[in-house]
Amino acid sequence: MDFFSISSFLTNNQMKIKYFLWILLPLLASCSNDEKYVNVPLEFKVPSNFPALVYNIEVNPPTQKGFELGKKLFYDGRLSSEGTISCGFCHIQQNAFTHHGHTVSHGVNNLAGTRNSPPIQNLAYQTQFMWDGAADNLDFQPIIPLLSAIEMNGNLTSIMAMFKANATYSKLFKEAFTDGQINSENMLKALSQFMVMITSSNSRFDKYRRNEVGGNLTSDEIAGYSIFNSKCASCHATDLFTDNSFRNNGLSINPMVNDVGRYRLSELNQDYYKFKVPSLRNIEKTAPYMHDGRFGSLESVLNHYSNSVVNSETLDPILKQNGVLGITISANEKLQLIAFLKTLTDDQYLNDTRFSDN
Amino acid sequence: MCQKNHNKSNNLRKLKMKNIIKNTIAILAVAITFASCSTSDETISGIGSLKIEFENGFAGNALVLGSATLPTSNSEVLKISNVKYIISNIELTNEDGTTFTYPKSESYFIVDEETPASLLLNLTNIPAGNYTKVKFGIGVDESQFSMGATGQGDLWTRAQAAGMTWSWASGYKFLAFEGTFSSATCTDVSYMIHTGKTGANYNYTTTTLDLPTTALVRTTITPQIHLSTDLSQIIDGTNKINLSSKNGMGMGVMIMGGTDLPLITSNLPQMFSVEHVHNDPN
Repeated sequence: MDFFSISSFLTNNQMKIKYFLWILLPLLASCSNDEKYVNVPLEFKVPSNFPALVYNIEVNPPTQKGFELGKKLFYDGRLSSEGTISCGFCHIQQNAFTHHGHTVSHGVNNLAGTRNSPPIQNLAYQTQFMWDGAADNLDFQPIIPLLSAIEMNGNLTSIMAMFKANATYSKLFKEAFTDGQINSENMLKALSQFMVMITSSNSRFDKYRRNEVGGNLTSDEIAGYSIFNSKCASCHATDLFTDNSFRNNGLSINPMVNDVGRYRLSELNQDYYKFKVPSLRNIEKTAPYMHDGRFGSLESVLNHYSNSVVNSETLDPILKQNGVLGITISANEKLQLIAFLKTLTDDQYLNDTRFSDN
Repeated sequence: MCQKNHNKSNNLRKLKMKNIIKNTIAILAVAITFASCSTSDETISGIGSLKIEFENGFAGNALVLGSATLPTSNSEVLKISNVKYIISNIELTNEDGTTFTYPKSESYFIVDEETPASLLLNLTNIPAGNYTKVKFGIGVDESQFSMGATGQGDLWTRAQAAGMTWSWASGYKFLAFEGTFSSATCTDVSYMIHTGKTGANYNYTTTTLDLPTTALVRTTITPQIHLSTDLSQIIDGTNKINLSSKNGMGMGVMIMGGTDLPLITSNLPQMFSVEHVHNDPN
């Protein structure tokens, strides 16, 4: 909004203010030749059934232009060395921002990774990112795929040069941040603003939890929720269904990959084969499952927990109680659990055009 | 409309300029009066600069990349190919006990043996004073990480260009120390030591050095603090790291995490010592 549209809002009895603004205007004009854009803060609310916010939105409050810049960055393949692999390439909104149909994703030069693309939803409430916790602050998460030689293989020096040569980016950086700098700090902050706004909080389950219209669950779904609470919720905790911990859930080791999980980060023996407990929101849409996408269906996931847990030194003790491997789940309980898990699908979020590529 | 504004703004600017000139003359007049009263005592005021130079060496000898070092206490001889480290959070202690902290977001320097310009840090906008101590960090501290990207400016870009970002974790290499080593059991085996934040271990450390000569920061004097860096301390300091014993698979030694990383981190402050301080007029 420029000065003239502001002044048109002023009434006669605000003449003093108007006069004051006339004095201010030359001062503003002397700072920059461009029209002064006033950035608009975006409303951010924590849904009542959510755990506490983790991301520090006071340090990096989402704004209209910051979000717009973040979204543009998210869908821009020019950030990759080949110019084709954007964040959105492996994070498709209709699948809760996962890479549908891919056990693992492929990046530049058609190189394949070793892990399944995780969803982007409610990240402002998450303390650990990536399957092994390679980032523990949302701002730093995008650095990993962006710089990874097998994902986007981006070069920050070239990326900054591209922004500076591009009129749209130059304008957006200037409008989105008070210092107006085109640098890696502001790029990461814009990406965080976009991701922080991507909230999934309107599934049928959420409405059930908040006693809202449309929050009706069937008897099977309610039974499933009850089984979930007694057999799954110790790890898949809170209404975001994760305790943000790293655990070895007894998957057999794929000898072709031998992904050591969090050990890769810490090189501590206690972290062998541990992966982050994922959120289960929109799980219906995020197949395939597990860190390497080995299971194609929710049935297979539950069959793993009931029948196929493999023992090892770092296996989570919860999966080996009284010397028995896995979790006892009957066939009927599995059906009810899956019925419950499907109540976590949030169509509003999956189809929200604010998050879509234009 | 626009033209009109510019005229107005020009007139206002002229008015303001006049005022500024008037005020400046008044202040100068007062300043000259005071200055003429005290000619004997030196008044330390104003803003100056300070330079810190890093000179990498190994156990008392100068560093020559690719050449054999003196043997360590584990009888290992290194041929160092790459040394880089991030210096941060520089703080100067005045002789009166007060401290000056260099602005955090401007205090990240990547020192790289192969880039001579990077071995000399140019610190500007420092209050004139007599400084007796310098303190700095090696790496990026927890408070900076907790701020997210805020305050890091172009550090990610500079770090990537210098090869100082981790490839599998979103963090910086605080120290990169690479080359080959030979011992009774190994011949020219490669080694790579990278320190940095691994999970919840920040592996950030600081060092505080007394200056043998007071650094006199003045508007007319830019002191230079010459630091000697003894790279042998990385693996042969208080904590001794035996590289040969870590060449389990014969694939070379890589220390980038695990239990050795905190040991190496706690060796790092001992790497640095002050060789001398110059107080050269500008």
